[in-house]
Amino acid sequence: MSLMHGLTTQMVTVNNQHVHLVLQTNGRTMNDVFSMLFGVFLILGTAVGAVVISYMVYNAYKYRDREGRDGTMTDPLQLGELPQGGGDGKKLAISLAISAIIVIALIGWAYVLLVDVEAGAPASENPIEIKVEGIQFSWQYEYPNGHTTSTLRVPEDRPVTLTVTSGDVFHTFGIPAFDLKADAIPGQTTQRWFRPNETGTYRAQCFELCGSGHSVMESDVIVMEPNEYEQWYANTGADAPAMNNSAAAVSTTKTRIENGGAEASSQRVAITF
Amino acid sequence: MTEDQQTHDDRAVQSGGGPPDGSATENALVFRLRRFFTRDELPPLGTVRHWLLTTNHKDVGILYLVTSLFFLVFGGVLALLMRVELLTPVGDILSATGYNQAVSTHGLIMIFWFLSPFAFGFANYVVPLQIGAKDLAFPRLNSLSYWLYLFSGILLGISYFQGGSFEGGWTMYAPLNVPTYMPNIGSTTTVLALVLFVISVTVSSVNFITTLHRMRAEGLTLFRMPLFTWSILLTVWMMLFAFAALLAALLILSSDRILGTTYFTAEGTPGSLLWTHLFWFFGHPEVYIVFFPALGAMAETFQTFTGRRLVGRKWFIIAMVLVALQSFLVWMHHMFLTSINLQIKTLFMVTTIGISLPFDLMVFSLIYTMVKGRIRFTTPFLFTFGALLVFIIGGITGVFLGAVVLDYQLRGTYWVVAHFHYVMVAGVMALVGGIFYWYPKFTGRMYNKRLGKATFWLFFVGFNLLYFPLFVAWETPRRVFEYPAALTPWHQLATVGGFLLGISFLLVIWNCYWSLWRGEPVDGNPWEYSTTAEWAVPSPPPLENFPGVPSYESGSLAFRDDDTPETSTDGGTTVSNDESGSTAHDHHDSHASPWPFFIGIASLVFFLGLSGITTGGIYPVLTALGVVFGAVSLIGFGLESFSVTEPERGERWPFEGIENGKLGVWVFLASDIVLFGAFIGSYVFLRVGYGWTDWTLVPHDPIPGLINTYILLTSSFCIVLALVAAEKNSRWGLIAGLSTTLLLGIGFLINKGIEWVELFHEGVWLSSNVQASTFFLTTGLHALHVILGLLILLYLIPRAINGSYLNDERPIEYFGLYWHFVDIVWLFLFPLFYII
Repeated sequence: MSLMHGLTTQMVTVNNQHVHLVLQTNGRTMNDVFSMLFGVFLILGTAVGAVVISYMVYNAYKYRDREGRDGTMTDPLQLGELPQGGGDGKKLAISLAISAIIVIALIGWAYVLLVDVEAGAPASENPIEIKVEGIQFSWQYEYPNGHTTSTLRVPEDRPVTLTVTSGDVFHTFGIPAFDLKADAIPGQTTQRWFRPNETGTYRAQCFELCGSGHSVMESDVIVMEPNEYEQWYANTGADAPAMNNSAAAVSTTKTRIENGGAEASSQRVAITF
Repeated sequence: MTEDQQTHDDRAVQSGGGPPDGSATENALVFRLRRFFTRDELPPLGTVRHWLLTTNHKDVGILYLVTSLFFLVFGGVLALLMRVELLTPVGDILSATGYNQAVSTHGLIMIFWFLSPFAFGFANYVVPLQIGAKDLAFPRLNSLSYWLYLFSGILLGISYFQGGSFEGGWTMYAPLNVPTYMPNIGSTTTVLALVLFVISVTVSSVNFITTLHRMRAEGLTLFRMPLFTWSILLTVWMMLFAFAALLAALLILSSDRILGTTYFTAEGTPGSLLWTHLFWFFGHPEVYIVFFPALGAMAETFQTFTGRRLVGRKWFIIAMVLVALQSFLVWMHHMFLTSINLQIKTLFMVTTIGISLPFDLMVFSLIYTMVKGRIRFTTPFLFTFGALLVFIIGGITGVFLGAVVLDYQLRGTYWVVAHFHYVMVAGVMALVGGIFYWYPKFTGRMYNKRLGKATFWLFFVGFNLLYFPLFVAWETPRRVFEYPAALTPWHQLATVGGFLLGISFLLVIWNCYWSLWRGEPVDGNPWEYSTTAEWAVPSPPPLENFPGVPSYESGSLAFRDDDTPETSTDGGTTVSNDESGSTAHDHHDSHASPWPFFIGIASLVFFLGLSGITTGGIYPVLTALGVVFGAVSLIGFGLESFSVTEPERGERWPFEGIENGKLGVWVFLASDIVLFGAFIGSYVFLRVGYGWTDWTLVPHDPIPGLINTYILLTSSFCIVLALVAAEKNSRWGLIAGLSTTLLLGIGFLINKGIEWVELFHEGVWLSSNVQASTFFLTTGLHALHVILGLLILLYLIPRAINGSYLNDERPIEYFGLYWHFVDIVWLFLFPLFYII
C-alpha cells in the first residue's frame, strides 16, 4: 500500500507542489507526479462517487413504494402515451456543470503535468541513453558504448532516457517501481525517461500480451551507487564477454519457460483438445 | 366505411391491451382469420421446424437471447478457469498457451458473441412492438443475421479442435496475430469466425436502420420514440460504420494469414500501428455499441418502476446522439503509450473527457427521475438500479484513464480490467433487468419473484466481490498468470466473487426455465405505469403484433381498423405507399423461409474450408462445397416468393420518398464506403510511413487500368439505359442494357486478369512486398465486388428474358446503385495505385 502512504504525504504538500509546478517547467519524472496525481484523483473520485451514490440510494429509499404513503400521483404515466420528458432540466444542468468543472479542472491539472513529463530529461543532468528492445520473451538493453545486456543497470539520481522498440511483436515495456511504461513496437521507437532515486533491485516486465511467455517476460533493473555504476560501466564494452552475458541471459529465460511447462505438465489441464 | 364508423373503430388502448373485444366483432374475425392463415404457413411453436424456418422478429429475438446466454456460459466458464488459475500467484492449472487462449476467447465471446447479440435479442423482440411495426423491414435478412451469428459462434468453437484457438487477446495486436508467431489453423478460424460475425452484424444493422426510419407508426416521430428504441437506433448506426472498419482489419488479417500478404509484418512500414488504428477505430465505438442498449433498458425500467417520466428526456437523447457521433473520435486514447505525439495525445484527451460529460448527464437524469416517484423494487428495477450504481463507479474510474499521465502507469494493469468490467458488466446487469422486465411479455408468465430478488442480491454481491478487489490489486499486469505474491488475497477474493456471479447467472437462466411452466400467467400488461406499445398487446403478442394499425395521431396509442381505406381524410401527415399499399389486403405476409438457415450452414462450411485451405487435405473440398451450397441457397433465397407489406402510413423521416429496399441498399453501401475507406486509408498510412515518393507502384503501365476505367464508366451508362428501358416497358432494351453491362464487366475482369498474370510471371506475387500486398488486396477486393455484381446480373438477365422487371423495375434500380458505387470506388483506386 505504498500508494496510500504516498497519498497521505503528498496531500500534505499538495499546495507546495502546486507552487512548485508553476515554477518548474521540466525535469519531472512520472515517479514525481504519478502518486500525487493518482492520490488526488482517488480522493476526489471517491468523494464524488460517495455523494452521487448516497444521493441515489437516499432517494430510492425515500420514495419507495410503501403502505400508508399517498398512492396517488399527479399526472401518472399512461399506457400508450407518447413518450415525453418530466421534471425540470435546471437541476440537471447544474449537476452537469458541477461535475464538468471538477472533471475539467482535474484533467487540466493532469495536462500541465503531462506537458512537464513529456519535456524529456533535462540535458543539464547528462542523462544516460539506453536502447531497449523487446524480443519474445526477454528485454535487451544496449548502452552508448555498444554493451548489450539483459539486466538494466543504472546509477542513482541521474536521468535515464530509454528508447524502446521491439524485435518481433508488440510489447509494452514497464518498470512499475518508477511509474514508467512505453510501448515496444516493431519498426517504431518510443522514448521515456526516469530518474531512479533509490538503490536496489527492481523489476521490468511486459504489459502487452505477446505470446506464451508473456507472463514471465521480465528482467531485473539494478539501481547502483553512482561510483559503483561508473566502475561497472568502465569494464563493459562492445566485446565478447558482454555478448556471452546476454546470450546466457536469454537462455536462462528460455529454460525458465520450458521448466515452467515441464514442471506442471502433469497437473495442468490443457485447454486445447 | 364512413368516417364515423372509422372513428368508432379506433379503439383507445386499455391497460390490458389484447385482441379486439366486443366493440368490433367484424374486425376480430378478420384478425382471427389472418392469424389462422399465417399460422398455417409457419409450423407450430413447439416444433423444431418452427425455429428453423421462422422469420418472425419475436422468434428471432428469442433465438438470439437463448443463443447468447449459451455463449455467456461458454465465456463464463473460461473466465472461471482464469480465476481459478489466479488463486495462486504462479502458473499451476493452465498451460501458458491455454491461459492465453482462455483470455482471448473469453474477451471475444463476451464482447461479440454474448453482449451485442444479447442486446439484439431484446431489440429484435421489443423494437418493432415499440414503434408499431408488424415485423422488421426485411424479415428473411433478420433470420439470416441470426443464423450467421449462430454459425460464426460454432466456427469459433471448432477453432479449439484445430490445434488451439487464437491466443493474442481480444485486441489481436499485430504482428503477434500472423502465422509467424501464431501458426495454428485454429487462429485463422477464429479470425474467419469474426468475419462471419461481422457480416451478420452488418446485415442486421441495415435491417434495423431501415425499419427504424421507415416503419414507425403514425405520429411516432423520431424524437418521440421510446428510449430503448432510441438506444437501438444509435447503436445500429454506430455498428454500421464501426464494424465496417473491423471488417477491413479482419479481411487484411485473413489475407496476411491465408494469402501471405505482408500488411502487418513488412519491414519499413508501420504495420503494427496500422492494426491498432483500425482495431480501435472500431473498438471504441464498440464500447458504446454494447452499452447503449443497456442504457435504454435502464431508462425504460426507471420510468416504469418510479412511475415518472424521464427528467430532461430531450437532453438525454441529445447526450446519446453526441456520444454516438463522438465515439468515432476517441480511438487513439488506447494508444497513449505508442509513439504518437503530444498534440495528438492532447486532442484525444480532450475528446475522451468530452465524451464522459454526456454520460454524466444521463446518470443524473436517471437519478432525478426517482425523485417524487413511487418506486417499486421489483426484480427488474433492482437489477437496473444496481447497474446504474456500479456504472457510476465504472465511469469515475474511467476518468482516471482519460488523464494521460495516469494512463501511462495504469495502462496494461488490472485498473483497466476492473474499470471496463465495471462498465461492461453494469451493462449486462441492466440487460438482466431487461430479461425480468420483458419476461412476462415474451412468455405470458411471471418469473419467480422471490428467486428473482434473491438472485439480484447474489449477483450484486458477487459482482462487487469479483471486480472491486481488482481495483485494489491494480498493480497486477493484465493477461498474466504470475503476479506479485502480496496481491494474492485480493485475487482470491475476486475468484470467490467470480463463482458467486457465475451461480447467479445460472439462477437467472433457471428462473426463466422454471417459470415457463410454473410461472403465474399474466395478461398484456403486468406493470403499473408502463407506457410503451409492447404492453398494449397480449403476452406473448400475436404473430403480427397488433389488432389493428397502430397510430399515435391522437396523441396516444390507438389501433385503427385494418380496412380503413388509405384515402381516409384524417389529417394524416404521411403519404400512403404506392405499389404495395394497393395490394396489401389481397395477401398476407410470409413468416417462414428455410433459406437463411441453409445460407448459414453454407457459410460455416465455406469459412471452415478457408481456414486451412493452404494446408490441403479436406479443407479445399469444404471450401468448394461451401461455395456450391451457398450459391444454391442464395438462388433459392432469391427465387422464393416471400411477401412483405410496407405499412401504408407512418413516420418515415428523413426517408419519406425512398422505399425500404432502396434505403437498405443505400445503408449497405454506406458501410461499404467505410470498408473501402479503411482499405484506402491503410494503403495511405503504410505508404506515408514508408515514404510516399520512395514507394514503387506495382503496375509498370497505367494503360490497362485506364482502359478498365473507361470500361466501367461505359458499363455504368449501360445500366442506366437498362433502367430507362425497363421504365419504358421495353423488354429487349432491358435485356440489351443488362447484357452489355455483363459483357463490359467480364471485359474488365479479363483485362485485369491479363495484367495480374503478367505481374505473376515477373515474380510479383501478393507476398512479394508490401507494395504488391496493398495493390493486389485492395484492387482484388474491388474485383470481388465486380464479380458479385456480375453474379447478380447473371441472376437478373434470365428473369428479364422471362419478362420480369417491366412492371416493377426496382431490382434494376437497386442493382444500378450498387454498380455505380463499384465504379466510383475504381475512380479512387485507379489514380492511387496506378498514377500517383
